[in-house]
Amino acid sequence: MATTSEAVPVRPTRPPRSFRSGALTTLLVLPASLWYLILLVLPLAIVVVMSFGLQGKFGGYAPGFTLDNYASAFERLTPFTTSLILAFAGTILCLLAALPMAYFIATRAGSRKSLFIVLLVVPFWTSFLIRTYAWLTILGPDGLGGFIGDVVGDSSFRILGTPWAVLIGVVYGYLPLMIFPIYVTLERMDRTLVEASKDLGAGRWSTFRQITLPIILPGLITGSILVFIPLMGEYVIPAILGYGRVFLVGNQLVLQFLESRNWPEGAARAVVLILIMLVSIIFYLWFANRGRKTREVSVI
Amino acid sequence: MSASAEPKAASGLPAVAGAAGAAGAAEAARRPTPARERFGTLVEGWLRGHTILIYLFLYIPIIVVVIFSFNATNRRVTDWQGFSLKWYASVLSDKVVQSALANSLIVATSTAIISAVFGTMAALGLQRAPKWFRRPFEALTFVSIIVPEIVIALASLVFFSSSFDILNPIFGLKLKLGFPTIIAAHALFNISLVMLLVRARLSGMDRTHVEASYDLFATPWRTFWQITFPQLLPAVVAGFLLSFTFSFDDYVITTFVSGAGSTTLPLYVFGTIRKGVTPATNAVAAVMLLITLTILVVGQLVVARNARRAGGRSAATVAEMITEQSG
Amino acid sequence: MTDQDLDQTIRRMAQTPLSRRGFLWASGLSASAAFLAACGPGASSSASTAPSAAAPSTEGSEAPSASPSAEAVVVEKELLMYNWGDYVDPDNMKAFQEQFGVEKFTYDTFASNDEMMAKFQGGAKGQWDISAPTANFVPAMRDQGFIQKLDLPHIPNASLIDSAFKKQWWDPTDEWQLPKDWGTTGITLRTKVVKEDVKTWKQFFELAPKYTGKIVVVDSPDDVFVAPLKALGYSLNSADPKELEEARGLLMGLAPHVLALDSDQYNTKIATEEAVMGLTWTGGILELRDDPKTADTVYLIPEDGTVFWMDTWVVLADAPHPNAANAFLNFILTPEVQAKETMTNQYATCSSAAKAFIDPKMLADPAIFVPDDVLAKLEGQKDNSGIKQRAEIYEEFKSKIGQG
Repeated sequence: MATTSEAVPVRPTRPPRSFRSGALTTLLVLPASLWYLILLVLPLAIVVVMSFGLQGKFGGYAPGFTLDNYASAFERLTPFTTSLILAFAGTILCLLAALPMAYFIATRAGSRKSLFIVLLVVPFWTSFLIRTYAWLTILGPDGLGGFIGDVVGDSSFRILGTPWAVLIGVVYGYLPLMIFPIYVTLERMDRTLVEASKDLGAGRWSTFRQITLPIILPGLITGSILVFIPLMGEYVIPAILGYGRVFLVGNQLVLQFLESRNWPEGAARAVVLILIMLVSIIFYLWFANRGRKTREVSVI
Repeated sequence: MSASAEPKAASGLPAVAGAAGAAGAAEAARRPTPARERFGTLVEGWLRGHTILIYLFLYIPIIVVVIFSFNATNRRVTDWQGFSLKWYASVLSDKVVQSALANSLIVATSTAIISAVFGTMAALGLQRAPKWFRRPFEALTFVSIIVPEIVIALASLVFFSSSFDILNPIFGLKLKLGFPTIIAAHALFNISLVMLLVRARLSGMDRTHVEASYDLFATPWRTFWQITFPQLLPAVVAGFLLSFTFSFDDYVITTFVSGAGSTTLPLYVFGTIRKGVTPATNAVAAVMLLITLTILVVGQLVVARNARRAGGRSAATVAEMITEQSG
Repeated sequence: MTDQDLDQTIRRMAQTPLSRRGFLWASGLSASAAFLAACGPGASSSASTAPSAAAPSTEGSEAPSASPSAEAVVVEKELLMYNWGDYVDPDNMKAFQEQFGVEKFTYDTFASNDEMMAKFQGGAKGQWDISAPTANFVPAMRDQGFIQKLDLPHIPNASLIDSAFKKQWWDPTDEWQLPKDWGTTGITLRTKVVKEDVKTWKQFFELAPKYTGKIVVVDSPDDVFVAPLKALGYSLNSADPKELEEARGLLMGLAPHVLALDSDQYNTKIATEEAVMGLTWTGGILELRDDPKTADTVYLIPEDGTVFWMDTWVVLADAPHPNAANAFLNFILTPEVQAKETMTNQYATCSSAAKAFIDPKMLADPAIFVPDDVLAKLEGQKDNSGIKQRAEIYEEFKSKIGQG
């Protein structure tokens, strides 16, 4: 890009690489690393220890060593598959809803962009429960559910208590998590590159594939991870909008920790879940990023 | 290729207009064919329509919430019994709800600030870090998102209580559950969130502008703030907003790591579901909405007024200039 | 139930001439006076805002037996409570604060006993003064050291608790908890749709296929097991594997016909007729009866028996403000205050002394104040969390709701 071809050789200021940059790197990653160490690694260590333990007399954890919890963690796997299906469906729906919207917002004039972005999250500054109960009204027998039932003449027609209601609730709750990552990558895209590509005779699809897609791909990947993963642990939306008719892995965990008060078994199940998901993400990232020439070059 | 010499602009139509204006003679060759123009308008129309639909989708429940905040009923919120402002009066005099709202705001703001700062720092530092550090760190980032809330909530509670039991006698402290523990627990997920957003933004960015800046004798500090940070800003802001939102709305983690007197709004609302949610909570939501929207509208007006004062240019153009700088 | 005994006692004591100004004023003031006993400089002199009762009964109020302690009791300026949401009348809270000079009354909430228990088991201690668990959780809390013995000499009004609620299995010595209120789990019907004369849990199960997809059940393992075990004639606390297996059969037969497993919105579903039959508590159902649109709603206590649950007040171990806690407990048991609690929360009080101040219409409501003969058939809830078979059956039940 900008080249200073015949410029007089000058001595620009550059930070010396050795000590300074090492110290800077450490400083930058230190707070987050501390957070992970203290608030993630240590609590998870507790979970792992618990997963080998016994159920206390009144529930909870009692010291001991057994592998029974892991054995039972592999039983009753149906909720896991149900969660997988829901997470897939939800992620894809979010993607379809988010992409055009992210593109639209990213192509607005400056201050309007920020307005659109903030307007996206403002609804979430009301209570989650109240919003979900509003959906109960909207989709219920006094609302859309009843309306459609009357129109098709089926008095037992219901939106609530079906997977559709759950999907509506899920997209409603997780959309910003998909929009924001796509938006921040799209917004950085240099439109003139697209123009240039078209001027050079490339078709719309080639332009998209070779110019736009590589730039927004990190956003798409981040967005899908940020939606899919938490969706695997979701249980409140299905409980309320799904009428508790859909039993997910999140329900299972909560049941084990709170009502059954079997912390060791819940812990074992959680450890298995975490490991499975971690391996899946690693594969997903490897698959999505292969062929991409990602240079990790520091920008500071 | 004259296009590459154009000043970078991130907005669609003005860029085309600018390009058309500056290119002069080449304009005729570059102007889109009628067919392409029509397709472009179609696409633009579809994008606009889609976006409006989604915004409607997002706001319809909110409208329902506000409508029912005027419900005169005493219990079941959706059983319309007439119009009344009594729930607003009740909220304005109910100390419990007010303190819950205040607590939520304090916790959410602190979490968002901490997450935005440390998450951005981590994203920047990670680019410079060697592979042996980066891989495990990334794995931990994902783990922090993977861990189900109930698990990290209970584990954090056990961790905090045990640590306090050990540390308090040794150091004579009186650490206990409260705001700091809530904020700390919330920030875990949110730091990862911000980090991922900023990294997505960073990907593919190169050092060209940075190098240019150094070529022009700018110090590293200045380079960062004038070149790099503005380019990152949308991601940092997005991360801040999302962190605030998740912290504000969080129930499970807050339930377990909160102490006496640190009841947040979600805790309060969930606590009332057994007895029946009253329109009071709707009124609280409506008030929050009113405040936020007012701030937004006023903010927009202020920007517009400043733009007008700055030499009579339109807000759009000024905003464009700002955007150009931020990439 | 020894209601009559207590009534007679009250009548006898009321015969002694009282030379006080206002009836209500006197009751409220006597409660705090009895507590503070030897008044120190901290004695409150602000106006007692004892809540107005319904028609003042001709029976006098008995003066709670005060056992004045030798030293002055200074009530702290703060009280920390960990309770269900919205479970103490705000006027009562204000009155308490004014009478005792408690400037800060912090009310933190939990949404279920299990949540509260997990919090304490996770290590939260020294955070609150008073909590209100359901009775079957009290022994576990006691044995794990979460609560402390009540300071009964400083809670004279504890004597107002009916003896029917004392010496229960969860607290045989009545030293660890004070009854707060009690209720039942029963069958709710929209008689407009359900024309059958439903009287038992057995019928509930038999009618399930007919009203398939229109049945709502509270999401509570203990309550869900009441129905099949009682229908089969067993104890609702049964741990017998064979009996539980039979219950499992009934539950799995019910599961496909259930619309929703819902502890919080079941009354809405009944109101809109999405559900016409339910295994529920009384919360929200009573309003439906009062509403002309849904006046056909009926809550009944099945004849094959059901559970009677009780919520209790406990003082937490390491309570930072024990004197304020005792003052509150004594205050809340004052008859007029109790009456106001009952009328606000719509759950029956455990203190007959309060009945004098409760709206007669509410006293006559069999859903709240269960008649004695029915009460005799009710079984108290035990702590069944340790029984693995129950947990497994419940998880299976939950996962099969609405399937096939």
